[in-house]
Amino acid sequence: MHLKVNDESHEVTVDAERTLLSVLRHELGLTGTKYGCGEGNCGACTVLIDGEATRSCITPVTSASGRDIKTIEGLANGDELHPVQEAFVEHTAFQCAYCTSGFIMSSAALLDRNPNPSDEQIQSALSGHICRCGAYVRILNAVRSASCNGGAK
Amino acid sequence: MSEQQSPADVALTIIGTPRWSLEPDPRTPPGDPATLLTIDGDGVITAFSGKVEYGQGIRNGFAMEIADELDVAVDSVRIILGDTDLVPQDRGTTGSASTRTVGIQLRRAAATARLTLIDLAATRLEVGADSLKTQDGQVVSKNGSDGVEYADLLSGQSLSVDIPDAVEVKAVEDFQLMGRPARRIDAVSRVTGAAKYAQDVVVPGMLYGKILRPPSYGAKLAQIDTARAERVSGVVSVVQDGDFVGVVAEREDAAEYAVEAIRARWEESRDTASDWNIPALLKERAEEPTALRDDGDLDSAFASAERVFENTYYVPYVSNAQMEPSASVARWDGDHLTVWCANRGPFAERDSLAEMFGLETSQVRVIAAEIGGSFGTKTPTVSHEAARLAKAVDAPVRVSYDRAEEFGWSTVRPAATFEVKSGVDAAGKIVAWDYTAFHAGENAFRGQRGADTPYDVDNVRIAVAASESPLQSGSYRSLGGATNHFAREVHMDEIAIGLGLDPLEFRLSNLSHARLTACLVAAAETFGWASREKRPGVGYGLAIGYDAGSFTAQCVEVAVENQEARVVRVVVGFDCGLVVNPDGARNQIEGSIVMGMGTALWEAVEFDGGRVLNAGFARYRVPRITDTPEIEVVFTGDDDVPSSGAGEPGIVPIAAAIANAVRDATGTAIEELPIVPRL
Repeated sequence: MHLKVNDESHEVTVDAERTLLSVLRHELGLTGTKYGCGEGNCGACTVLIDGEATRSCITPVTSASGRDIKTIEGLANGDELHPVQEAFVEHTAFQCAYCTSGFIMSSAALLDRNPNPSDEQIQSALSGHICRCGAYVRILNAVRSASCNGGAK
Repeated sequence: MSEQQSPADVALTIIGTPRWSLEPDPRTPPGDPATLLTIDGDGVITAFSGKVEYGQGIRNGFAMEIADELDVAVDSVRIILGDTDLVPQDRGTTGSASTRTVGIQLRRAAATARLTLIDLAATRLEVGADSLKTQDGQVVSKNGSDGVEYADLLSGQSLSVDIPDAVEVKAVEDFQLMGRPARRIDAVSRVTGAAKYAQDVVVPGMLYGKILRPPSYGAKLAQIDTARAERVSGVVSVVQDGDFVGVVAEREDAAEYAVEAIRARWEESRDTASDWNIPALLKERAEEPTALRDDGDLDSAFASAERVFENTYYVPYVSNAQMEPSASVARWDGDHLTVWCANRGPFAERDSLAEMFGLETSQVRVIAAEIGGSFGTKTPTVSHEAARLAKAVDAPVRVSYDRAEEFGWSTVRPAATFEVKSGVDAAGKIVAWDYTAFHAGENAFRGQRGADTPYDVDNVRIAVAASESPLQSGSYRSLGGATNHFAREVHMDEIAIGLGLDPLEFRLSNLSHARLTACLVAAAETFGWASREKRPGVGYGLAIGYDAGSFTAQCVEVAVENQEARVVRVVVGFDCGLVVNPDGARNQIEGSIVMGMGTALWEAVEFDGGRVLNAGFARYRVPRITDTPEIEVVFTGDDDVPSSGAGEPGIVPIAAAIANAVRDATGTAIEELPIVPRL
């Protein structure tokens, strides 16, 4: 099967019923994408597929084949962090940061689509994510500031 | 995963006990002297602690403290945490104690290193040490002449220095880093996916294990057929040892699939306890309560009281539900065991593994990975499971819990039932306080935390009983602190409302504790308590709390509509003495508020017959970004007072403050949590 992840092509031989999350983490070693619930309820596994924030834990790997997959490892441009990553650092918008990859990927997708979202639009885009450390105030501030800075390109 | 290494080429070693306190506590002795800090010949500073990083930012706090004492940049300090082969013995990252007992000792170690460097420079420059100071990684003359780099001073040296008893740490006015908000030194690894959590640890040749779980607590294996599981492609072995059954496979998905393919028949004990009858059962199944305090004469105080109030309160089991489910990797090298885990107590885990396998502790190395949240759970059990499987197949094995296992087989915060009886005189002073708590779980010490009242009252009985628990009770942020505070602070509003007094005035008139009073006054003023505007569907509540040596007061505004309650605004007064990293402390307090809000409004583990019924986020409601209130934190502590805990105290009064606010909005007393299902 052919997978295009972070602009790199990979040929993988895996069972068709495996999830994209499982293949990313175990076959490609991209462990920045996290397992949180396996049911699409917590958002920790979020990646971008053709620019859309997608729960990789409930996405069959077959449905992602041939499409443009982006994970947290591919978001920065070399050493230059994506504006959302930069904003999460600036606001310390995390504690344990296990959920952070997912929040950042959804935020990046939002700002790509809508560079100046309202607070309600930010909250709505991130309502499927759980941060159990409760860094929500900071996450909201980080995404706000990334959008004011011009956001995602 | 690469193993952490001790620095080579060490030029200066600072030795001291791992913990230190101005006011030593016999329950936490300082420990045996060990290497706390080294500087190598290139000037690289490394500090060692048995604490772990599970989100609280302690690596950053320690680095700031050491960098400030040594006058170097914060990112030039390396912190090695939670590796039992490299760091001093530690009792575990609990009780919000890292900054109070270890951070201060690392400051003293760094101060010792600074004095040593100054002495070296004085000898070399042939000047008096008192004419020198440190600045930007150099020893410089106080009159501003050229400096000498630390690396230069240490090149070729091999010194070992004990921390002198009288070493002085920097005065507050000399701080360059401490006390100012700081970015975390580990921030970039956390926003790029580079940080390695226990779930991410991979070692060469590693296999994947999955445990067969019984259908309910206490179930015994009666019959098993593993033939189908053994035939699953990728399965290496099905391991059975009594009721312990696990599959080891080349891939995690194969292990999961194979466990599903095991046919097993269980004999269930089907305990009659459920979330329906547990409030009363906790009292029925309790041991005799232990009195923590029995002062004055309660009977005559109640007899002479103007008014007596008596209520029962209940707090359900809640799940820690940290985002990273438990995981552990175990590798055997002959009779030596190495475990990578997410446990907050690596030494306790090492000791339990040694005991389980009949090893010396020196044969076991436990390395804490980055930890994706804990809040008290993440027990050694998952490491025991991984080590048993690894031994059986003679290969490294990782066991990673799935979310349902985490909800069903990890520990939960104990449910508790409280009986509170109070008497007040005609002037509104509390004259009698009789408090009995029945906490689920065999460890009564958990339920004792926060049980005592901070209010002025002469006739007091505080008693706590451990009660048989149908679920696996464990630690949760503040242990019994949050649950005890719920009962006490809701009861305080019960009295205030009964007497027709303002909840703020009633508390202040019964409180002489200066630091708590300062928190309460600051929170109320910032909140605008006196000018709060009564509107339909809006309520205001407050509560105070103490925990881990710190003090807090919280004022809350809620909106209640259509059987839903929303926390709109929270103002927190907080006193933890010296705040090392104000942004870090604020982050912890905000997180405590959000977490406590979940326990107040929605969270409860539903169970029946030993089975957890809501083992997933679809059925267990936790706070989300759409629920987030505006949170304002006012620090009221004195920088000259040593740091106390900041990770837990924020959670202790919040559920009561929210309950009091909902009562203010609806007129109905809240005596049980969670609130929303009862609206």
